[in-house]
Amino acid sequence: MPEIRALASVQDHVLLGHGEVVNSYRSLLLRALLRERSFRIGALIIGFVTAGALLAPVVAWLLGHGVTEQFRDTALTEMGLPTGPTFEFPLGADGNGRDVLVRTLYGARVSLAIAIPATTLAMIIGTAIGLVSGFLAGRVDRVISQAVDVALSFPFIVTALSLLSLNRGVDGKPFVAPSLVVVLIITLFSWTYFARLTRGLVFVLRRSPLVEAAQTIGASKARIIMREILPNIAPVILVYWAVQLPTNIIAEATLSFLGVGVQAPQPSWGNMIAEAQRSSLYQLQPWFLLGPGIALFLTVAGFNTLSAGLRNVLDPHRRSG
Amino acid sequence: MIRHTGGLIFRALSTLLIVLVIAFFITRIAYRNPAAMLAPRNASQQAIDAIAHALRLNEPWYLQLWYYLYRGPDIQGAPMGIAHWPPALGYSFRKQTPVTDLILSKVPVTLSLALGAVVIWMTLSILLGVIAARRQGSWLDRLISGFAYASLSVPTFLSGILISYFLFFQLSNHGVFWFPSSGYVPLTKDPFEWARHLALPWLTLALAEIGIFQQLIRASMLEVLGEDYIRTARAKGVPEWRVYYDHALKAALNPVITLGGLELAVIMGGAIVTETIFGLDGVGRLAINSALEGDFPVVIGTTIFAAASFVFCTFAVDITTRWRDPASLS
Repeated sequence: MPEIRALASVQDHVLLGHGEVVNSYRSLLLRALLRERSFRIGALIIGFVTAGALLAPVVAWLLGHGVTEQFRDTALTEMGLPTGPTFEFPLGADGNGRDVLVRTLYGARVSLAIAIPATTLAMIIGTAIGLVSGFLAGRVDRVISQAVDVALSFPFIVTALSLLSLNRGVDGKPFVAPSLVVVLIITLFSWTYFARLTRGLVFVLRRSPLVEAAQTIGASKARIIMREILPNIAPVILVYWAVQLPTNIIAEATLSFLGVGVQAPQPSWGNMIAEAQRSSLYQLQPWFLLGPGIALFLTVAGFNTLSAGLRNVLDPHRRSG
Repeated sequence: MIRHTGGLIFRALSTLLIVLVIAFFITRIAYRNPAAMLAPRNASQQAIDAIAHALRLNEPWYLQLWYYLYRGPDIQGAPMGIAHWPPALGYSFRKQTPVTDLILSKVPVTLSLALGAVVIWMTLSILLGVIAARRQGSWLDRLISGFAYASLSVPTFLSGILISYFLFFQLSNHGVFWFPSSGYVPLTKDPFEWARHLALPWLTLALAEIGIFQQLIRASMLEVLGEDYIRTARAKGVPEWRVYYDHALKAALNPVITLGGLELAVIMGGAIVTETIFGLDGVGRLAINSALEGDFPVVIGTTIFAAASFVFCTFAVDITTRWRDPASLS
């Protein structure tokens, strides 16, 4: 188990007390992370995106442009075409005369507010299922593996569409907010990843001296899972949380692009890009696409870089470069 | 081996059965009053009732499910139930066609799309992966890795739009009409036009995968290159290119086959985004359009098709990796 060995080596470092001061595990880990270039770059980009998301209302207030407000007089030319980047509209305007910058920043909020809870929920559910499946093994494991197979076999977008219409009541009004359904759909399609990962990690640990020792002193199964196994695999799972997050950001954007996810007029990078594509205006005025396109790319690339850095530190076996 | 294969087949079939049952319930609950959705606009109540009757919507759910799982009464002369060969998945009132025929008519498009994309991304990933592993740490390696990470971070819908903007719109604006923006020409009709029409969709799909596969091959190669038998091969005087592309690659390809099978399965089940952007009439577009129209027999049918291609690909991957590894045969 390379991850665990890596952590153990960091711990040894602490116990041996290299240097005068005995550093805590946490500060050593932090220092190792900060030495990692891809972690620094990723963290910088993510910080930038998060700041943009948090400051969205401030920017909207400074520019005096609401998210869904249309400025048909100032943002559209006499022909009805949107203006390009100007002082008033830093990233230009869209086909309805709305501010692309403000909408892109609000899109960051939507994107993170859906992807982060969905990934976290998937991690909790998947880890719990993987722990049980890996530790109990045998029949329980077979049933759970079958369930994972079934979940993986469902096509993502079409199932998402069916589940969204499931949410529509008789009068056409949704039972719960559509964004919540999107969170649940993404969770439903990503818990399997964590379940498989956890199961694999537990399979290795369940025959380890660590668990045998606990069994010898008569610890219950629940206690072994929660107190012995979970703390050992938690760091690795957290790393893979960061690996899965960008995938889920893309999933949300894709659903919204196809009109299945976040619904207009609420801005999401996916539906903004869809609008640009549908009107074909982006062919003449590419800034339409640039705002949400670059934001999406930056966010996903940022998280990809960050998670690569995390993996390099916590999982040296996969070290690249 | 035989026992293992039998177990795999049993598991694959039970997976498909469970998917069918779940898909049946989701669609039956999600699409309220499907007969009215399927009927033409301004259809009389009688016409709606006739559709409901033909689709057996008034019968209890367990009977309807049984018709799917085994055999049901014919709908408009089309058989019903998966006990037939090929499995009859019902009848689409929207398209006035049996669902199985409808899906089979779209398979060539999706298959061409998927297989072409696989060939392109595998060739490029192997080349770039081996080069990067060979020159580990050089500027070339870093350049390729940078490209891989960038392509990994662009969703298909974005790269699809950009590719069609630059390679179709801008090119044809400048009088170069190399790539059409949409449409499909069957391979049997004109192989050149077939490839020309699919070039941009292939590129879109390949671009989404190259990032992952190049990194995977590079990492896997680096791991294998440290093995003793590589040193032995070099000591024997095997040419360097053969050490890389023959000895090392063979062993490094295992994780690539596993992931490749899964990705291929997902594309076969419907590359909805790519098919939508490039106007390809494949299984994916059929699936999403029928889901939007509420054509529930087609939704169930395409879901089963996607699940079947997934199950088939994982099965094929399992058999291939076992067959490649002689230790598992004994």
